[in-house]
Amino acid sequence: MADYVLNRVGACGIAWGAMSQKAASIGTGCNRLGVPVLLGPHSSKYRRLYLSRKEEDDWRVMDARKREIVDSGEPSPEHIAYVAETKEKAMPMIAKLCIRKNDTPQGRAIKLNHYISLYKKYIAKGLPEDLHLFVRRDADIPLVYKKEVRAHLQEIGWQPKEPVGLPTFIGTYPSKVPLDAVIH
Amino acid sequence: MSAVIPFHRVNVLTGIKSAKLIEDAPQYGNLIQKAKRPLLVLGPLLSEWSLDGKLLMEYALDIAKTGNIPICATAQTKGKMVELGVEPDSVYDAVEIVNALKDPDWKGVRKEGNHDLVIFFGVRSDLEEQCLSVLKHFAFNHLKTMTLDKYYFPHANYSLPNFKKDVKWQSFLESLIHNLKKGE
Repeated sequence: MADYVLNRVGACGIAWGAMSQKAASIGTGCNRLGVPVLLGPHSSKYRRLYLSRKEEDDWRVMDARKREIVDSGEPSPEHIAYVAETKEKAMPMIAKLCIRKNDTPQGRAIKLNHYISLYKKYIAKGLPEDLHLFVRRDADIPLVYKKEVRAHLQEIGWQPKEPVGLPTFIGTYPSKVPLDAVIH
Repeated sequence: MSAVIPFHRVNVLTGIKSAKLIEDAPQYGNLIQKAKRPLLVLGPLLSEWSLDGKLLMEYALDIAKTGNIPICATAQTKGKMVELGVEPDSVYDAVEIVNALKDPDWKGVRKEGNHDLVIFFGVRSDLEEQCLSVLKHFAFNHLKTMTLDKYYFPHANYSLPNFKKDVKWQSFLESLIHNLKKGE
């Protein structure tokens, strides 16, 4: 269940405010279901985060349709339990944590529209630094930012990549669960 | 255990090692100049606080420029920095940069090797205390930490005292910039 939610359901949980143990455990409960959680700065006291390092980590998943492990190169979701320092940082991060590998082009365009708009509103005027990691093909670019994003991608030498059809972590590690269990 | 009571009083018990209290700006400047690969982590409070009409962000950028220290802009500080004409070397958030700094094999923000002195400035005190605690326990072999905020942080290696008057803090920062300029 957690594998399905983490790889295919674009959800993000938020637990903000003066933290209590109850609130921290609700965040952990979300994690158990496969939902990434964005926590407030007080949550750093509870010392439980699940962070990634997007340039160095392994982003390979099993494509259950092709039955092979593919390297998507896409940090989605980037973190599973993350502490945001301020609400301004939290806003674009929420949009980024909702991105999943099996997004349709239209869905990805909507999510990137939210991410870019929130980034421009709260962080800085340009485009997000890691935007090229989430654009798979030209169709993923939101219409409003098409020109700007295309120019940026051309400048950095971006190459299109194949979207993952049915992403799952089953099959990437030894497990009793067969791969057929995730195919409906 | 330190005798100085820190401003932030949660999770501050440091065991047998606590921060060395330094009030002398030349001594601070020497520590920064001796470091081979220092890193300045700037937080969002720098855009909110000012000393005598001058934003703390400007003090921080002066320190970075005179000491030739790479900058990590956390939260939403990149926007203000770019307004003041400085492009940060990296835009990791506080928890992300600490996660990377824990790894002795990390290449650093300029890909020259991991940093040996990390200076925190302008991060909210509870989160900064937790970040310093992580580096104290997991990165003590390869780096030292320092703070420039006006409060005492017991988990750092070197910290300023609790400045009751902003005038003293301002005088310290100006003296530090002057010392870094002399040592260029």
